[in-house]
Amino acid sequence: MEHPILFISIILEKLGLPIPHGPVGHGFLEQICAPYMTYTWFTMIFLVVVGKMTLGNLEMVPGKGQNFWEILIGGMENFFLENMGRELTDKLFPMIATFALYIAVANLIGLIPGFMSPTSSINTTLALTIIVWVTHHVIGLRANGIGYVKHFLGPMPILIPLMLPIELISNFARLLSLSIRLFGNIMAKETLLGILFMLAGAFFAPLPIMVLGVLVSLVQAMVFVLLTVVYITQANEHAH
Amino acid sequence: MAKLSKEMVHLLGNYGHIGFTFVAAIFIGMGLGIYLDQKVFDGQTAPWFTFIGLAFGIAAGFKSLFDIVRLQNRD
Repeated sequence: MEHPILFISIILEKLGLPIPHGPVGHGFLEQICAPYMTYTWFTMIFLVVVGKMTLGNLEMVPGKGQNFWEILIGGMENFFLENMGRELTDKLFPMIATFALYIAVANLIGLIPGFMSPTSSINTTLALTIIVWVTHHVIGLRANGIGYVKHFLGPMPILIPLMLPIELISNFARLLSLSIRLFGNIMAKETLLGILFMLAGAFFAPLPIMVLGVLVSLVQAMVFVLLTVVYITQANEHAH
Repeated sequence: MAKLSKEMVHLLGNYGHIGFTFVAAIFIGMGLGIYLDQKVFDGQTAPWFTFIGLAFGIAAGFKSLFDIVRLQNRD
């Protein structure tokens, strides 16, 4: 998908670095300079710099910036506590909260002209999903030991030949649905915005889609985190 | 208004992924069946593994649907 203007790509091109013209480049350097990579770095730098600026010196009586983060992080921690319990929350809070912040910011910067969402590339979302998928199996194995296999065997022994393929397929479907849902929603938003901008940008045609885009971005970030929490909780439980 | 939109976001989060999970399960089941038919057995067992895979995929789709409903009813 060609974006109208991507300012990081233009800057890199002026610096003499190779910018891929297809979705993915050929050489190593070209792959690193692909737009979804550069905007991933941009999102990371944005989060680190904003965090450093607002939380550089913590105070007992919080100011504006610290208040915002306290509400956000506190809300997320309460949500995780309700669903996962104390122990898992302490273990996994950094990872899942980082995913939430990263996905939300990455979805939302696509609404600003000159930026693109890194999550509108299947590479980014699949990477996130594989991390979550492997993590929930590792958590399950560590919590239940070899008994984790019982999760995939169904309620009674006689049904094993029937239930094992069904459980395995629905487990692999998580990998597919989690990655493609995020990718599809965000790419649809980006493509629609690009097309409307080209067709009737002077008449503010993309504005209604931008309003919907804010909703979609936040909902998709929330869905990703919610499903991560649900999967990890299910893997941690004992088999019924 | 704020309460309504918060509730809507929650509903979207909880139920918005049903369709996609269902479809993904069917695709994986049928893809596995086609792979077994065409690549592993070289097309000798032609339609059978595809149909079996499709049946398992649909069953897995319904199973994940029931899982979502059960999860929502639990609390």
